Amino acid sequence: MLDFTILSENFDMFLEGFLNTLYVSFLALIGSFVLGTILAIFRIAPIKPLNWIGTIYVEFIRNIPLLIILFFIFTGLPVFEIRLSGFVAGTLALMIYTAAFIAEAIRAGILSVPKGQMEAARSSGLTYTQAMWHVILPQAIKIVIPPLGNQFINLVKNSSILTIVAAGELMYQGDLISSRTFVTFDVYIFVAVFYLIITLPLSLGVNRLEKRLAQSN
Amino acid sequence: MIKFENVHKHFGDFHVLNNINLEINKGEVVVIIGPSGSGKSTLLRCMNQLETISEGRLEVNGVVLSDKKVNINEFRKNVGMVFQHFNLYPNKTVLENIMLAPVKVLKKSKEEAKKTALYYLEKVGILEKADAYPSQLSGGQQQRVAIARGLAMNPQIMLFDEPTSALDPEMIGEVLDVMKALALEGMTMVVVTHEMGFAREVADRIIFIDKGQILEDADPTEFYNQPKDERARLFLSRILNH
Repeated sequence: MLDFTILSENFDMFLEGFLNTLYVSFLALIGSFVLGTILAIFRIAPIKPLNWIGTIYVEFIRNIPLLIILFFIFTGLPVFEIRLSGFVAGTLALMIYTAAFIAEAIRAGILSVPKGQMEAARSSGLTYTQAMWHVILPQAIKIVIPPLGNQFINLVKNSSILTIVAAGELMYQGDLISSRTFVTFDVYIFVAVFYLIITLPLSLGVNRLEKRLAQSN
Repeated sequence: MIKFENVHKHFGDFHVLNNINLEINKGEVVVIIGPSGSGKSTLLRCMNQLETISEGRLEVNGVVLSDKKVNINEFRKNVGMVFQHFNLYPNKTVLENIMLAPVKVLKKSKEEAKKTALYYLEKVGILEKADAYPSQLSGGQQQRVAIARGLAMNPQIMLFDEPTSALDPEMIGEVLDVMKALALEGMTMVVVTHEMGFAREVADRIIFIDKGQILEDADPTEFYNQPKDERARLFLSRILNH
């Protein structure tokens, strides 16, 4: 049987970890969405240097482990006198890493909007940016929602590696409780449940949003 | 109003437009016909720089498009385009489709743009669909909205790229009627189409193009009765007797 006293006696710590994970995920989600959208536009914009920047970013970041990005920011940057807390370094690393995947998802969404849409918008005198913003992106976002939802769920789960830089998030608090009480099995079950409290609604929300958008088409 | 001088265009090895010389005057209705792959759509799309030319000089509405420094967005305000597949914005209502460019490009107020949009919707005969989404309209209605969207910018020239080719036969008439009315009002129109009835009735000139070359530039009656070019004769007999 699960030992619920572990939960009740350490509830403050669980809660703190839970809130920190929520906070990190939220900040990284916003940041990676904005950065990912910009990178996606870089990759398809009719300007060669921007294409290169976008491609290099995505191919580099997507193909190295998140842990390396995290260590680079947390232990590498201090070489240049840039010292960040575990929380800030962790949020940045998550944002930088997830943005590469989001950029790819959004790029695919933009490319799936028929070419005629851009042509119609441009022929009416809209600039490339206006056409992108008012015509293409609103249509792309619908197509992109399922893969984007998956990336956000991954982001929440990936935030667990921030435990390594003592970011104070859920996994970190779990480790702390477990090493203090010598209870492992029960603690990690509760930690998993807390992650599910974030990811399950996200997953269900994406499913529902997907259905609603499909109807409005 | 539109002037091609020794214009060439290549898509890689493919010579799409081969030494085009063409002048279209204000108020003229010019129909471009030709077999598929002849370059007629490309010719039209050069007129608002959806395609750029490789060589030669092209001037439209007083703007030299072959000049690299041209402000294309400024230029396109004055040239409307209607596409074969309508290309309405599916996520916007009919009204929003028509209002977008006047608000964003001409910087009109929402109220003013709405008034203009409603005016043109009435003109193309679908005022009652103002709040519908494109997917709720028939093909003919969608194309009429697309025409209203073009007109709402108050353009000097309207370009039509096979506007009835994607329509069910019973809807072609309603779109052609709108275009005829527009022609009667003196709009400068360039129309790529296979609708020979429309061409005969409305066009001032018919341009026949094949393999990227203009082979015939004639008055419609003249063109019908006796096309000078052999390929034009063949093409005409094929589309009239299908």
